[in-house]
Amino acid sequence: MLLTLDHVTVAFGGLVAVSDVSFSVSEHEVLGLVGPNGAGKTTLFNAISGLVRPSKGKMTFCGHDLTGIPIHKRARIGIGRAFQVPQPMHELTVRENLIVAQHFGTGHSNPGKIDEILDLTRLGHKANRDAASSLALTEQKALEVGKALATNPRMLMLDEVLAGLETNGKRAFMQTLDDARQRFGVALLMVEHDIETISNTCQRVLVLNFGKLIADGSPEEVFRNPEVIRSYTGGETA
Amino acid sequence: MMKYLSLIIILAGAYLAVPLQFGGNDYVIGIVVSALTIAGIAVAWAMLGNLGGMISFGHSAFFGVGAYGSALLAMNAGLPVFPSILAGGVIAGVVSILTMPTLRLRGPYFALAMLAFAEIFRILAIEMRWLTNGSGGLLSIPRLPTVFGFDFGSRLGGYFVVLTLVLLTVFVYWLIRNRPEGLALRAMHDSEDATLVVGVNATRLKAAVLVVSAFLTGIMGAFNAHYINFLEPDYAFNGSWTTLAIVAAIFGGYKTLWGPVAGALIVYLVDQFVFKAIMPSGHQLILGGLLAAIVIFSPSGLLPWLASRFRKEAGDAAHP
Ligand SMILES: Nc1ncnc2c1ncn2[C@@H]1O[C@H](COP(=O)(O)OP(=O)(O)O)[C@@H](O)[C@H]1O
Ligand SMILES: [Mg+2]
Repeated sequence: MLLTLDHVTVAFGGLVAVSDVSFSVSEHEVLGLVGPNGAGKTTLFNAISGLVRPSKGKMTFCGHDLTGIPIHKRARIGIGRAFQVPQPMHELTVRENLIVAQHFGTGHSNPGKIDEILDLTRLGHKANRDAASSLALTEQKALEVGKALATNPRMLMLDEVLAGLETNGKRAFMQTLDDARQRFGVALLMVEHDIETISNTCQRVLVLNFGKLIADGSPEEVFRNPEVIRSYTGGETA
Repeated sequence: MMKYLSLIIILAGAYLAVPLQFGGNDYVIGIVVSALTIAGIAVAWAMLGNLGGMISFGHSAFFGVGAYGSALLAMNAGLPVFPSILAGGVIAGVVSILTMPTLRLRGPYFALAMLAFAEIFRILAIEMRWLTNGSGGLLSIPRLPTVFGFDFGSRLGGYFVVLTLVLLTVFVYWLIRNRPEGLALRAMHDSEDATLVVGVNATRLKAAVLVVSAFLTGIMGAFNAHYINFLEPDYAFNGSWTTLAIVAAIFGGYKTLWGPVAGALIVYLVDQFVFKAIMPSGHQLILGGLLAAIVIFSPSGLLPWLASRFRKEAGDAAHP
């Protein structure tokens, strides 16, 4: 097992954002994570990355108990993260962003792999441009994925990287992700709102609603589940 | 190309033209040495400010510790002067480890803690009479040696040494800035989460920059001890070593490599040679006004302002 969550709860004061969630991710798996806004998807990613601390439960990654592992060490054991709101490293060029990610995420440097990632994410022509100011939204999202890939992840968490892209952009981006998966053998855990995309790409889907995991199964099975349908139709007003 | 060319011109000017023109004038060389000493501290200070994101008001502590450390090693342990200057830097670097708890503090709290830290060292230097001779100070500190017949103990010799030290300081800064560690440090302030999730340990990197900055500042202090051959606590730990360096760095542009050097030279030399001639007493007022003007018109400092002017002119020339 790559990642295992065992009864994980994350609370902010009185607000329980993630409630008693258990699931696991295996090597090379492509797993979708869906649920209405505010369901706790980003918070779940934050807990796995180490940006927030669960109030209950246990998480393991590749046999490491994550409890005692600080954020900056989680990249080294293979946890990669692309933020929902892109976070290019300010003051650095696109290539420098990847250099930093590689150096600290893997402990060594491999310029060949950086070129490969630039090529894969179609950022080669902007490699020496300022990352924070000269990228369009799609490119910023591609850089999010690129940075994560540069750390040699075994699992990549993608938080709505397709949101805001038009259909062609989405398709191109999915192609990029698929290439990345083939080349680097990384498992994907992806948050995505578009049910069609999820159905086409994921072998398995998790559904969160009000912090609770309400379904875990194949896309066909999950999207037929009445509770899931109800959470989707009623979720917006809740 | 332009960059290398201007670097070569500056180096030739510094190592050849200045000595040829002013070598016989100890008064002028003495002032240039002071300006370069400030420049060295300013670069080390700006390294911490720019890469570590920390504004220190306590660099006089590192200057003083380097000065006393080197002087005492040379006087009491008989260490040759150049190795003891290096040792003075190392001692300042080690002492900076004591300030590490302050790295957790942010903004003004860090600045205040460092100010207190510097004051503690000034008081220690006064009170530890058995080691430092208290306010009486240290006299006859060994001077820089004569090597291959050239007397580094002369004013001009001191000039060559301090010039080389400043250039090495800039070189170290440049090396660090372009390493992944330096890149991560530059990115850290505005993109903390982004650096964390790719594995950057911010605390450790900041601590490392602090040690390097303290080491380089200590070296300047150590040089100064052997150059003037005399130390007392109120001189070596004087807060103006810090404030002059801060003024120089901010004036020149503390985020640029050469800004602090340019700032120190302009601020110190113009003040001494021009403003002082115009206004023998209170000439610092003009300097204060100039600094205020720079901060208002170009908050990032003089060099970035000149660079943008230059680019604009070049652009205008290209498209008349
Ligand atoms: N740092 C935080 N402090 C307090 N509340 C938070 C914090 N982060 C998220 N929340 C709350 O947790 C809930 C889940 O948010 P989030 O995980 O962002 O949902 P999703 O990504 O599924 O849209 C929301 O109610 C949100 O307001
Ligand atoms: Mg979210």
